[in-house]
Amino acid sequence: MAKTYDYLFKLLLIGDSGVGKTSILFRFSEDAFNISFISTIGIDFKIRTIDLDGKKVKLQIWDTAGQERFRTITTAYYRGSMGIMLVYDVTNEKSFENIKNWIRNIEENASADVEKMILGNKCDLDAKRQVSKERGEQLAVEYQIKFVETSAKDSLNVEYAFYTLARDIKAKMEKKQEASNPAGARSGTHQLRDERPKPTSWLARCSVL
Amino acid sequence: MSDTEIVQNKSEEASNDFVEDGSNKLVVKCKFCGSKILEKKTGKFVVQEMNLPLMHQDTRKEGELQSEKITEFYHVENMYTFENIGFTLTVDNYKYLSCADCDAGPVGYYDMNTKHSYVALSRVEHA
Repeated sequence: MAKTYDYLFKLLLIGDSGVGKTSILFRFSEDAFNISFISTIGIDFKIRTIDLDGKKVKLQIWDTAGQERFRTITTAYYRGSMGIMLVYDVTNEKSFENIKNWIRNIEENASADVEKMILGNKCDLDAKRQVSKERGEQLAVEYQIKFVETSAKDSLNVEYAFYTLARDIKAKMEKKQEASNPAGARSGTHQLRDERPKPTSWLARCSVL
Repeated sequence: MSDTEIVQNKSEEASNDFVEDGSNKLVVKCKFCGSKILEKKTGKFVVQEMNLPLMHQDTRKEGELQSEKITEFYHVENMYTFENIGFTLTVDNYKYLSCADCDAGPVGYYDMNTKHSYVALSRVEHA
């Protein structure tokens, strides 16, 4: 069968145990299927199809739950991954501090040009918060990685995060393609327009209300 | 799981509201939340017997997996044909398929040997 999509991106969710990676991928926490057969077994990965600037993009999103106990993810797991969501829990200081270790792990094991994004999850639990949004932003600036606070429970910014990461991967790929296809080689439909999202949007607020 | 050919014609009649030219005439969606699982004409109709665990397990019967025999499936060779779908961890060389949005399932299964997926017609909605 002919290929029915334009891009296929493999994405990984990485971070300490308990930060909510599985909830980001798997929303069973409070709905009717909590006791279902599926939640008992657990989800390995999901395929999602999104539209990015008129292109059909397939995302294959992997949970690393269970492996993070070893505080490291093996090279095999990173193989072929083009984007990584680094997840910490805003109510857990340690999980935030460990983001640096996870970045090091990625640098040692993943391909050098993998796109990354930091997610401060559980931002709905403001009363228990240990990591301010500003510290998250600071870390993101330090590593030059995009950042957003999310609440998997309230589905806040989760979709936004995936779209943002996917858009960045797409932009990087197109840039590469252009570099290998010198000017003129492509059709006249090519535009020099900057397709990146608005610069203000990447520090989207965690506004639950 | 074999004997696909033998019963093919008989059951195609039963499902022809949904099947046209051997594939799904309509878009395949989740019965519960409407999440799009397959585009039109992307799943090949096949008849084969497979026991699939029930979507709602009776939790009073502890440690007992309740399943039902299903015979009509859409065969999907390449997993990236799916619009939105979840794959469970592997159990006995199979992964079960679930709705990517509400996690309802199993709506079908994935065979680790052949790398092919099968969506049960009775567990999805056609729209």
